[in-house]
Amino acid sequence: MTANKIITGLSMILRMLVRQKIVIILLLIIPAFFLTIVEFTTSDRMLPFQLASLDDDVFINISEKGISFIFFAVASSGFLVSFLALNLIQKNNTVNRRLIICGYHPVELLISILLALFLVVVLIAVYIGILTNAFYTIDNLGRFILGLVLIGFVYGSYGLAVGSLLKAELEGILLIVLLVNIDVGWLQNPLFYAEAQNQIIIKYLPAYFPSQTAIITAVTDYSAAAATVNSILYGSIFLLFSMLIFFYKMRTK
Amino acid sequence: MILNSEHIAKSFGRNKVLKDISFQLEAGTITGIVGENGSGKSVLMEIIVGVRSADKGTVNKNGRIGYCPQRAVLFPHLTVQEHFIYFSVAYGIDNQQSKRRFEELLHHFNFKKYQQEKIINLSGGTQQKLNLSIALLHEPDLLILDEPYNGFDWDTYQRFWDYTNHLKKLGCAILIVTHLLSEKERLDRIYELENGILV
Repeated sequence: MTANKIITGLSMILRMLVRQKIVIILLLIIPAFFLTIVEFTTSDRMLPFQLASLDDDVFINISEKGISFIFFAVASSGFLVSFLALNLIQKNNTVNRRLIICGYHPVELLISILLALFLVVVLIAVYIGILTNAFYTIDNLGRFILGLVLIGFVYGSYGLAVGSLLKAELEGILLIVLLVNIDVGWLQNPLFYAEAQNQIIIKYLPAYFPSQTAIITAVTDYSAAAATVNSILYGSIFLLFSMLIFFYKMRTK
Repeated sequence: MILNSEHIAKSFGRNKVLKDISFQLEAGTITGIVGENGSGKSVLMEIIVGVRSADKGTVNKNGRIGYCPQRAVLFPHLTVQEHFIYFSVAYGIDNQQSKRRFEELLHHFNFKKYQQEKIINLSGGTQQKLNLSIALLHEPDLLILDEPYNGFDWDTYQRFWDYTNHLKKLGCAILIVTHLLSEKERLDRIYELENGILV
């Protein structure tokens, strides 16, 4: 394994990403679009609610607009990272195999992809964090961005897993949109979640822990350590799964 | 001996594409494989290169291998020059040698003016020139070419054969899948893949 191969791989992957117009359009427009919709469609009435990760006697008071901004920031971050992760691992599968035949080790290629994904996750989290803060002042912006990084990690790893498993792009996108929509786009919304009949299912979905982290850090001073650790564990399972499939598919015979 | 393959067999479901393929390649020779569409020529090439596994049999290769797949396998959003850099790093070629080979191949196949162009902006023929050049970049000892001149004009076709003969003189063993009977005279040996065996 050589650093030169990893750095070259990373540099080429980033070039490919920024040259795709759809990527730039999605990155810039989707979060701004989501948050603008929230601005025009939600009210300022105060909504007391409980968070599953905090004690039962803890009630959070926040406006409908405020919680919606935070929730949509999390949703757009999860969707974007998941889509880009799928794009990174699935789109150039055949050429990546050719690189491996020519001398790249699958580990070198995978590290390059993961580094590129990490940079994308951080970039998206910082951009969405700052954008959200422009609409609605976040008390702990740094910690909130960390929550967005975690949702990026979990959903990025999910995107990698889907991209490693499926050959066809359309099926991959469908799986991502479905899960993101149901999980981070609906069930993790604390306003829905608090009233849900069966919270167990919601707690086992991928966005549960990172959503809890993002919301706790954005609107309270409580510790989000447990949710953070669980987010990392959840993302690591997806990551491990995607790495195993990647190696299996990329091995030379 | 550069390549020795013995008793290769491969099936897809009930379809036995390759039944019992054995052949050798010596240094400084050009060997052709012909056969109908769907006879398994590309599958055989992929097994030799290591893209695909065989159900049975062994493939032993010596030296550096260059492989040009039938369709251009390239990154759509990278330029020609970036492909040379990326694959040079994969082959482990140093910068100086990479630049020399890069210039040589661009000049020989006459596509220097496209070196800063992204692949999505290139014609099929120019993409194929790059597809072939990547296989030649590291001066291989064994060159496996699966219909490498798809989309080539007559001039490029001639340049391709000039280069192939040059490599042969340098001791490279070349295996080429072809449909063109007119190429028989250019080959040292020719096999026909028929019903899963070489005749």
